[in-house]
Amino acid sequence: MTATCPDRFDQALLTGYLDGELTQADEQRVRIHLEDCAACRGAYGELVTLREATMTTRLDEPNDLQWDERPRGLFSALSRGFGWLVLIVWAVGTAGYGLWQLATGPENMAEKLMVFGGLFGVTLLFVSILVDRLRTARTDRYREVQR
Amino acid sequence: MEAVVSLDPMVVAAQHGDADAREALARDCAAIAWRVAVRLTGDPDTARDLAQDTVVRCLRALDRFHADRPLAPWVAQIVRNLVRDAARRQRVRRLEPLHRTSDDVVLEPVDPTPDPEARARRHQLQRLVWQCLAALDEAQREIIVLRDFEGLAYDDIAHVLGVPRGTVMSRLHRARRRLADEVRRRTRGGSP
Repeated sequence: MTATCPDRFDQALLTGYLDGELTQADEQRVRIHLEDCAACRGAYGELVTLREATMTTRLDEPNDLQWDERPRGLFSALSRGFGWLVLIVWAVGTAGYGLWQLATGPENMAEKLMVFGGLFGVTLLFVSILVDRLRTARTDRYREVQR
Repeated sequence: MEAVVSLDPMVVAAQHGDADAREALARDCAAIAWRVAVRLTGDPDTARDLAQDTVVRCLRALDRFHADRPLAPWVAQIVRNLVRDAARRQRVRRLEPLHRTSDDVVLEPVDPTPDPEARARRHQLQRLVWQCLAALDEAQREIIVLRDFEGLAYDDIAHVLGVPRGTVMSRLHRARRRLADEVRRRTRGGSP
């Protein structure tokens, strides 16, 4: 414990003085008192040291505080949207054509079962994830926020 | 004569729906909120969640925010309320000494002094002060974080905490004394 001020000076003023938050009159009162009072000088020095330690400490912010990347302009947004649309149409068309060829082609039943069985499994997984995502989206706390 | 009011152009643009300004504002809010939350809770993961919640609340209430006021006190007030709510629901643990600081929270001491020995002493004190924050009660920790870590003015702190300006000074003084006592206790009687 630091020494008690013999004049019972209100030491809360030392904090205001340190932060430059006092009126001119109070500031002068503190300055004059500090010249005469060793106890308050000691207390003030301690406050200075502590405040320097806190004010010069920075925290390394985590990277995932950053928000998602999004298209920055109209052209970027349109081309990205159109790009996704073309990609989906191409994927569905190509896959559909390939599957139709396989289903109506001369391959034997075992080969067809291997391909369609695998695809059926993948589809089940996809549907399961999709259902979970839709359920989550309904309860998402941030869904009303326009980013 | 009419007072000149300076408006924050980023906030004004965000209020008018500018997407870039909203994103920049969200980033600023998240950074402020995370810094305040991690110092109040001591837990970076909880702080990350609270920062996200704060951003959501800030963006929802953006139309009611006065662009002539500083952003930090507003964000600090929101995150402070969220931390208190979370603590009330016992979702947040009491602040514990961060011995795991090097893994979870990285302190970056900014020290202008060129003397390596003095710098080492300062860095040691910074780490100790960070750990001693845990010994303060909630109200004391809040006021230290707002003033000494975030650098808010007394008027802004009074607004955030909903107390008179004079109370800010006396509470801050008690908190600093308590922090100094704790630092002294841990350094076995030495001065901080």
